[in-house]
Amino acid sequence: MTDLTFLALATVTVASAILALEARDLVYGAAALGISFLGIAGLFFLLDASYTGVFQIAVYIGAVVVLILFTVMLVGPQLGEPPLELKRLSLLVALLVSLLLGTAGSLTSAAAFRGPDNCGAGCDLIRLSTTLINQYGVPLEFLSLVLAAAVIGALTLAKADRKG
Amino acid sequence: MPDPVSQIIQLVTSTYFLEIVVFPGLISIAILGAFFTWFERKLTARVQLRIGPLYSSPVGGILQGFADIIKLLFKELIIPEGADRFFFIMSPVTALIIGAALLGLIPFAPGVQIANVDVGLPSFLAILTLSPTLVLLAGWSANSKFPFIGGLRALFQQTAYEIPLWLSALGVVMITGTLNLTGIVQFQQNNGWLILPQALGALLFIVTSTAEMERLPFDLPEAESEIMMGWQAEYPGPLFMLVQGPAFIKLYAFAALFSTLYLGGYLGPAIIPPIVWFFLKTIVIIVAIMLFRSTFPRVRLDQLLRQGWTTLLTLSIVNIVIAYFIVVGVPAI
Amino acid sequence: MEPLTSFFAVSVILLGIGIYGLTTKRNALRILFSIELIYNAANLNIIAFARLRDPPIVTGQVLVLFTIALAAMEASVGLAIIMLVSRLNVDIDLRKLDRLKG
Repeated sequence: MTDLTFLALATVTVASAILALEARDLVYGAAALGISFLGIAGLFFLLDASYTGVFQIAVYIGAVVVLILFTVMLVGPQLGEPPLELKRLSLLVALLVSLLLGTAGSLTSAAAFRGPDNCGAGCDLIRLSTTLINQYGVPLEFLSLVLAAAVIGALTLAKADRKG
Repeated sequence: MPDPVSQIIQLVTSTYFLEIVVFPGLISIAILGAFFTWFERKLTARVQLRIGPLYSSPVGGILQGFADIIKLLFKELIIPEGADRFFFIMSPVTALIIGAALLGLIPFAPGVQIANVDVGLPSFLAILTLSPTLVLLAGWSANSKFPFIGGLRALFQQTAYEIPLWLSALGVVMITGTLNLTGIVQFQQNNGWLILPQALGALLFIVTSTAEMERLPFDLPEAESEIMMGWQAEYPGPLFMLVQGPAFIKLYAFAALFSTLYLGGYLGPAIIPPIVWFFLKTIVIIVAIMLFRSTFPRVRLDQLLRQGWTTLLTLSIVNIVIAYFIVVGVPAI
Repeated sequence: MEPLTSFFAVSVILLGIGIYGLTTKRNALRILFSIELIYNAANLNIIAFARLRDPPIVTGQVLVLFTIALAAMEASVGLAIIMLVSRLNVDIDLRKLDRLKG
């Protein structure tokens, strides 16, 4: 039963990722990206990381996809992509072949890392929150400062064209 | 071959399947949605000293919702010329799916809950964050000016009011110490309903959820007298029903969540079964939200965004400070 | 539970798709899509490794919470830049945007 769920989620994620890059209309691409994020959130739920999955849905699909759609709608339709040059093509093929061989090599020893079935303290929600506040409290504060900086930066950029 | 047949029969009559399909699942959502359309029209009419729907059935027009559904199904399906068909049709359908998914998370009675996940409350709110995306897509896909303006307004409004919504629910989580909706109800069983210590939070929750649902006084995206039904303007017959459906399902879901978080869900003295208590509380909240519609004028867009980002955000942070002092105790200053 | 290599394979495939998009697309928005895909591939990898080791640790989820927030921030600033460029130039072809201002 788990195998079927994993296979379905992985197929949806990879297929929508390819669709996100290859769809001619950018709005379809953004929607396919959203479905890919949903697949990733499903994989998080499968890995007993339920709070992180909820966070992924709320932040990525709820905010990033909306921002992307908004920008796509305001930027307007763009021209299509030209075909690849030979140098870039060979570099890309080399990279992808190496990734593929690495994946195939790791899949041959597939049964080696079958993790524990019961997660215990590693996926406990209370454990997650206490670790986040106790051990990672200072990075959390820095994260909020970086967020504030990003918001101020984005607002300034969005206003810049009215004066200039 | 009796074996697959008996397996299918076993699946269909299992409790889980009945919960999903009949109650509190899909069929009851559909029937209650139609009922709430009648209820809103009747209530708004009585507040405005009119009579409202009267002729659909012997009992005060109670079948008006179903009559509207049947009428809308027979109308012609006209999709505008440059419209993007896929998103035009899929946005309301996905919004219906999201509305039904929201109701799967709420405990209706002890043991009657479709999905008892440990992160029930953030799951509910996270699924809600998908609705601005859908409204924006619906408004854009109609390829017309008014729907696009309505879609953008919906995006701004729903994004602005999400943060106070999450923060006012955070007050509840701080006091109960659990994110599980059944756990929150059980906390209220031991320690009293949360509306008393979290009165400010409850008020914020009801205001921000009215804004999230785009109901009056926050119904700028579908402003009927300004931009001709906003993002719903180009939706013909059957699709119009699909567009109005999620509004009422979200109303039902939000009222159910409010009664779970602040009014103790299905708790109450044992003379009435818990499920009836749950519905009584939910209907009280729905009546309150529907009375907002008849009472307050529509808020302007800049007022709306300013109130959302300044006043409500500040009040929700005040609410968190109050919840902190309730949890830790006043001598902790 | 699926073995670690299955999740690792999904993550590597997503990384490959992201790199393909990053190197071959000209439209700035498609490049942003690819960057987000690479972020998600990395997050999936971190969660899978944290969960499927013996014993599982919770640090993976903490790290992924941080990276999701950072990725969202970076996407918003990037989108603001893209919108600004498109207002000034109309064309957001990244191979043509190779001059600094002035």
